[in-house]
Amino acid sequence: MCSKLYLFVFTAAAAAAQTPNGHIDIPKDAPVSMVSVDWSGSRATPRGGAYLVDVHASLTLLNSSQKHVRGVTLEVLAQEVTPGGKGAVKVPSLDVAPRDVFSVRIDETLLRPLGGGDAAPVVEVRLDGILFDDLSFYGPDKLNSQREMTVWEMQARRDRKYFKTLLESAGRDALQNAMLASLNRQAEAPRPGVQVVRGRATNADPEHEVQFAFLRVAEAPVEPAAGMARVTANEAWAPRFEVRNVSKRPVRHVEIGWIVKDQSGNQFLAASLPADLNLAPGQGARVFPDAAIRFPDRVSIQAMSGFVSSVQFGDGSYWIPSRGAMEESELRGLASPSPEEQRLLQIYRKKGMDALIQELKKF
Amino acid sequence: MTHAKETDLALFASGDASLWQRLRLRMHLGRCAQCREVAAAYQADREGLKQEASRMPPGVDWEHLAAEMTANIRVGLEAGECVAPRRRKRAALATTFRIRRMPIQLSFGWAAAAAAVGVTLLIGAALWLNFPSSDKQILGKAMSQLFHGRGITDSEDSGPVVEASDNGIMLRGNGGALKISQGALRPVAVSVSAQGSASASYVDADTGQMTITSVYVQ
Repeated sequence: MCSKLYLFVFTAAAAAAQTPNGHIDIPKDAPVSMVSVDWSGSRATPRGGAYLVDVHASLTLLNSSQKHVRGVTLEVLAQEVTPGGKGAVKVPSLDVAPRDVFSVRIDETLLRPLGGGDAAPVVEVRLDGILFDDLSFYGPDKLNSQREMTVWEMQARRDRKYFKTLLESAGRDALQNAMLASLNRQAEAPRPGVQVVRGRATNADPEHEVQFAFLRVAEAPVEPAAGMARVTANEAWAPRFEVRNVSKRPVRHVEIGWIVKDQSGNQFLAASLPADLNLAPGQGARVFPDAAIRFPDRVSIQAMSGFVSSVQFGDGSYWIPSRGAMEESELRGLASPSPEEQRLLQIYRKKGMDALIQELKKF
Repeated sequence: MTHAKETDLALFASGDASLWQRLRLRMHLGRCAQCREVAAAYQADREGLKQEASRMPPGVDWEHLAAEMTANIRVGLEAGECVAPRRRKRAALATTFRIRRMPIQLSFGWAAAAAAVGVTLLIGAALWLNFPSSDKQILGKAMSQLFHGRGITDSEDSGPVVEASDNGIMLRGNGGALKISQGALRPVAVSVSAQGSASASYVDADTGQMTITSVYVQ
């Protein structure tokens, strides 16, 4: 009797499950074209008072351009499931030659309350941008992926060059020591988890203002000056700070790394504060990002600091800190390793030194 | 003649045999050339191993070895976490060893109970006065939330929220949620931007391909 009931429940659940409608939108004139897409395993199932949508897509894309592809960003939309939000899948640190294929995997879980209509949800995947080895870009760039992917590519070049030089000048052991040091830094870095809300999150705790202490990064074209944020025990909001363009070129965009120190003295990168500006040489400006960050209750914010992590000039070129500047300003232990350094670390961890050296020799 | 067991001879050679065994074997070895040879061979092996161990390889970098061991231990711990989550492990151990909570029966008189309450209040007050202010805030908040019957991590945001943790990234809002991951892979790093986005980085162990997933508040 019981097994029959289970069978009935299972059958009813299976019958209620639907396959979400997937749609891939890559323009015909795009420098990549779709070879195949596999949606197997994707399904939408009612669960309790909600509708659970599991999307698994594996795209195979062909580089139909004449240049090497270094990065791709795909925008993932499911408007009727998550009004007010969207997702993206980005693949940096690629080296795809003309006429070569590469794959991008999308695993997405969506949850929406029941009552939003019985139709299977539509999941749309759109090309947002492609970055090439000459740093040229193609795409609508709705997610600011050009800036993000260009910074990652510059960090990748900086880090590959650093590790290659280390290997050539100091040998295999020095490279291995650098990898181990980076792995240990990452393992020891506190990662308490963080939430971001737009505007002010509700919190009845007593609040006070905390000043930012800015770390000076050598050769940074922009210098942060005074800054502060409102803080309760585990939440900080309304950050505001002043920046000054100390270079001889106009500045269009600045990104500040926001570091938080907790009650145990642990310091960690809490968030990045991007700001679109229009700063002439020597000019200063005030920045007021409309955001609040919140940590788990066990974290109590004691102090805050910041550093300039990237700058975009008026002509579209970028500045990122050098490895030397990061060592000098003690940022190495605070700033996250670049995506390329993380990739190289994983190659070392999973496949060893020989595989890492081979990877560094590729380009 | 009955020969001695090889295990006993090995123990004799290493000096680990008991007093009685030593006496018995010494008498036997005095009249058995074959066993004497075996015991001598064990002794020679032992000496050889000792000499080998005392010779250190040249240029040992202790700091490097320590760093490598620390990294390997962490990799092992991470792998262990993936294979068996702690709760499951505990449950399995409890089942295996039949761990049961023993009921403890205590009986207090009224006087003893009142004394216990008094001591508890006194200790509580002393702790409260000596707590750093930051910890006091956290404790006060936790207590307030407990009294109000809410979980410590409850939030009261009306708008969408993006969050990043060791498990990945998520966008919550309007009664729905969106999570973008890379199947069973765990993120190697997560970050948030004050503009209202969260990102998680994944590396495929086989292909070495890096994928970064993001969610955005519009």
